[in-house]
Amino acid sequence: MTEHGQGLVFLITLIIFAAVMGLVLKRRITERFAILWMGISLLLLLGSSLGFRYLFKIAQLFGIPYPPSALFLLVIFGLTLLIIELYAWVSKLNERSRVLAQQVALLRDSLERELTSRGVPPR
Amino acid sequence: MSLAASVTQPFAAQWSGEKRVLIIVPAYNEAGSLSFLLHSLQSACPGCDVVVIDDGSTDKTRVVAKGLARVVSLPCNLGIGGAVQTGLQIALEEGYQFAVQVDGDGQHPPGEVAKLLAAQCESGCDLVLGTRFRSAGGFKSTATRRLGIRLFSLILSAVCRTRITDPTSGFRVLSRRAIRLLAHRYSEDFPEVEALVQVHRAGLQLLEVPVQMAERVAGKSSIGAVKSVLYMLKVPLAIFMSLLRRHEVGLME
Repeated sequence: MTEHGQGLVFLITLIIFAAVMGLVLKRRITERFAILWMGISLLLLLGSSLGFRYLFKIAQLFGIPYPPSALFLLVIFGLTLLIIELYAWVSKLNERSRVLAQQVALLRDSLERELTSRGVPPR
Repeated sequence: MSLAASVTQPFAAQWSGEKRVLIIVPAYNEAGSLSFLLHSLQSACPGCDVVVIDDGSTDKTRVVAKGLARVVSLPCNLGIGGAVQTGLQIALEEGYQFAVQVDGDGQHPPGEVAKLLAAQCESGCDLVLGTRFRSAGGFKSTATRRLGIRLFSLILSAVCRTRITDPTSGFRVLSRRAIRLLAHRYSEDFPEVEALVQVHRAGLQLLEVPVQMAERVAGKSSIGAVKSVLYMLKVPLAIFMSLLRRHEVGLME
């Protein structure tokens, strides 16, 4: 079980899983992202117990002489996709907060005008 | 309306009633220059409504502007794009025929607004742009900036198939159709050049008119060295992207 450091990978995966669960319990992560991260940690778990024998084959297939490099490559690729997804999410939030700020300004303006027209002194 | 008629008719009578004009003044920490600007707008453009978009200023911008014009204060700083778009949303909502953008730093002389409006009426173009490079005199920006502007001028003139010498100028008049287009979607940072492409891509007409510009009265430019580099990268990319997109019209009613 412990060949190729699988034990360590298993442990790290468990920690990630527990951390995500903890954050969900404290409502610091929404379920949307929690599911994503639990999926990732499960994938790592499966990978750590089953994947190593395939890793050598995958590395061979792509002509990578050092099998762990293939692993790094895959992981980095996955993380990059994840970061791009996050950027898209941040852009969307940014867009929403801009619209909200504009709406707040316009509402405040119309409220002030309404109050002024009724003779209520401005605060 | 002919240019002759627009000159003889009193300014106030012309730009109120049916042809309502909203002058949008985006301002971020411009307490030092706003008072003078708003006073000159009042005397140079009677009959036009003025709204100052206070873009989350941390100085006395709101207080200074409050007695002189309508002030709409954004709760946080959105940048020039978000501020101008707020003004356009007001113009759209309240049925203004024309919107004029006059920057809060005092670079755009109120006396030239009439010239832009007259050109708008005479030509029927949807966006009339004030350029500082087609007339003698006035403030022409710094040498490095002029180089950047020259580059965008080449790109824009090719894209829009009309001569545009000052695409980064914020001094412009928009028709109702252009207001509707840009109130819906307006770039957040460095929006000036992109808006021209947007307007052109929507099938609207652009026209450039020579004006005099001044150096800013007080305060400092929001664009420093790092931002200038970003500007030169972001704007061409945005232009390229908007050329790749299919026409985003559908907003012309």
